[in-house]
Amino acid sequence: MCYIITYILFTVSVLPLCVVLLLFPSPSSHSLASLPLCHCLSAPLEPHFTECISREQETFRCWWSPGSYHNLSSSGALRVFYLKKESPTSEWKECPEYIHSNRECFFDVNHTSIWVPYCMQLRGENVTYFNEDDCFTVENIVRPDPPVSLSWTLLNISPSGLSYDVMVNWEPPPSADVDAGWMRIEYETQYRERNTTNWEALEVQPHTQQTVYGLHIGKEYEMHIRCRMPAFTKFGEFSDSIFIEVTEIPTKESTIPLTLILVLGILCILILIMLVVLTQQHRLMMVLLPPVPAPKIKGIDSELLKKGKLDELNFILTGGGMGGLPTYAPDFYQDEPWVEFIEVDGEDGDSGEKEDNRASDTQRLLGLPHPVSHHMNMGCSNAISFPDDDSGRASCYDPDLPDQDTLMLMATLLPGQPEDEEASFDVEERAPASSERSLVQTQTGGPQTWVNTDFYAQVSNVMPSGGVVLSPGQQLRIQESTLATEEETQKGKEGEESKETEEEKQKELQFQLLVVDPEGSGYTTESNVRQISTHPQPVETKPAATMEDNQSPYIHPDSPQSQFFAPVADYTVVQELDSHHSLLLNPPPATPMPVGYITPDLLGNLSP
Amino acid sequence: MHTMAVIQRSVWALLLWPSLLTVSMPLDCKEEQGSLSGCTSISQEKLLDRVIHHAELIYRVSEESCSLFEEMFLPLPLRLQISQAGYTCITKALPLPSSKSEIQQISDKWLLHSVLMLVQSWIQPLVYLQTTMDRYDHAPDMLLNKTKWVSDKLISLEQGVVVLIKKMLDEGTLATTYSEQGLYQSDVQPEMLESVMRDYTLLSCFKKDAHKMETFLKLLKCRQTDKYNCP
Repeated sequence: MCYIITYILFTVSVLPLCVVLLLFPSPSSHSLASLPLCHCLSAPLEPHFTECISREQETFRCWWSPGSYHNLSSSGALRVFYLKKESPTSEWKECPEYIHSNRECFFDVNHTSIWVPYCMQLRGENVTYFNEDDCFTVENIVRPDPPVSLSWTLLNISPSGLSYDVMVNWEPPPSADVDAGWMRIEYETQYRERNTTNWEALEVQPHTQQTVYGLHIGKEYEMHIRCRMPAFTKFGEFSDSIFIEVTEIPTKESTIPLTLILVLGILCILILIMLVVLTQQHRLMMVLLPPVPAPKIKGIDSELLKKGKLDELNFILTGGGMGGLPTYAPDFYQDEPWVEFIEVDGEDGDSGEKEDNRASDTQRLLGLPHPVSHHMNMGCSNAISFPDDDSGRASCYDPDLPDQDTLMLMATLLPGQPEDEEASFDVEERAPASSERSLVQTQTGGPQTWVNTDFYAQVSNVMPSGGVVLSPGQQLRIQESTLATEEETQKGKEGEESKETEEEKQKELQFQLLVVDPEGSGYTTESNVRQISTHPQPVETKPAATMEDNQSPYIHPDSPQSQFFAPVADYTVVQELDSHHSLLLNPPPATPMPVGYITPDLLGNLSP
Repeated sequence: MHTMAVIQRSVWALLLWPSLLTVSMPLDCKEEQGSLSGCTSISQEKLLDRVIHHAELIYRVSEESCSLFEEMFLPLPLRLQISQAGYTCITKALPLPSSKSEIQQISDKWLLHSVLMLVQSWIQPLVYLQTTMDRYDHAPDMLLNKTKWVSDKLISLEQGVVVLIKKMLDEGTLATTYSEQGLYQSDVQPEMLESVMRDYTLLSCFKKDAHKMETFLKLLKCRQTDKYNCP
């Protein structure tokens, strides 16, 4: 009993609802309802219009459905009528164009009016199915076609390299007459990640491009766009999707440390180079800019040797204490701007090197321990005093000559052996000063006697007897002080050494030539020159004379200088080498005893 | 029908002749040489652009107003009723083209005059709408502001169209604001529902006509720039 009552009550309450809902289906003022909301009581579905759409506001179509009346589904069973409410006297007209396969009614341009209400109805045999919902104006049913020609370009990538921005471009649908202004269109862009379901919708905007921000690198995105008329509600279909993907791009970050490293490396290298340059300045200077040989004469200020001061130099050389240079000395000077000097110096510890084989030669060379100072002028001036021997000339044009620190005895010393001039010399390098200048010193007398000459004398010739002929015979200074540096040269002795055994050569000493470097510069100062000039006497060597640093390599006044050649002799004969392989000149008791050459000046001085 | 409409229009024009002076403002400064206000004249293209912009805005705001009104005041059943009533709009009688093909056949002059007619026929109803909406209890301010705004903009739109006509067509001033005031001069306070329905109809019709205005003006612009491809 209770159940019956409740059932009756239920039906009573529900029925009106259904009826009401049926009579007033869900309203949408400008569109056709798709289906009734309520299916209760399984009311049969009447034939109805499913949708009417206009794509370009010039034509439109309507689709209908027979509903649950399947007997009306055959084509022709239902007919479409429309009412165009242009005037109060308008009538229902039949569909201008049927497309039965689609159950569609197409209204072409001639039958379409905008801003005019249309009402649609379906008519069967005797039944009219009219839904008041099916009235509309064409502009309200416009659903524009989707845009075409979608493309995208990469705008930028974030500094972190994780996200990027993209600009999407497209063309408006070709069916919509946007250019003429017949329709205005707004676009809505939607995108999503490849395998997700939710679309991100961007704001509707009227431009044919859209910037999408914040996409992630490495992920693939799908994007599509749809259109609608502004201030209208209905969107068109979505366009075909485009797929956007940006793979990892090597960001600039990886290059930043690389550039930093490069810059730092270059800086370090530069600093190192600077350090090297600063510390090794001298050596670098020597390597890059080797010192240019310049004329230097020991005892003569280098200033005098500069251009324009030749007269003074000549004066010193000629009028100085040593006696005048031969007349051709200035010529000689003028011709050759640079000269090399060899100093003959007694070596310190080479006494042991004295060979017995050379005794004969040295005996010859060594004569009376009269100091004779030789100035041997190496270089191109050889030719002058060597009229018949061109050996010296070869050395003139040797480019190595000025560069070498080696002392080079003049080729005149050893006639016929020019080839050994350079090779025979084995000179220790001097202190870092100009070492082109060397003075030849001869040692006379004892082993401690040194000859230090301020001026130079040219060894003109070596006598077959072993004597050395010096041309412009200068007064020799005997230097008693030990020499700072020692140079050895085989040159002078080579001619005689050729007969010697090879030991001699190996010993590198035919006779030793010491390089006097009184001041470490290879040449003397003016004071020294004056000293020299005031003591134009050959100094007898003092035994065990030591050289001082400040050098007083000059003749001491108290040394007996009985014999002295007041007039300058042209040359002096080297008689012999002493035990220290120094040249001992044979001082003539009063005058030099020239053996080979004699000038008329000296004739008178000669003693038979 | 057409002649009747014309006669009606001319009658209204005569009646409202005095309002011409007040309503129409001198937009073209060339005529007033001695005016103190330094107004600058505007080129035809720019004026047309401005007019179009006005029309677009008016349409958008009217659509918003309509939606608002619909939400606020219309229950669901009523909307249906109104939609099938077929918009007995006041401007139904106006001889206006209603399709693209029809528009293609009419001249620039007629197109412009159509716009002017539309604009002028809506000025008064909108003013009237303001008064009725004030009577509503729950009318939101936004709705009222929008309708007010639309009403004002329509007036300036009319002025712009008048000047445009003068410039483009070299015609004299024809600024007549006429409307079928007779419809809205009833003193009887209508019923709420009726009032609501009427107002809603008004708003819907105005929205439609605003869209029409905008479309006409845009087509006119197309014709100005490119005669060959435009309807």
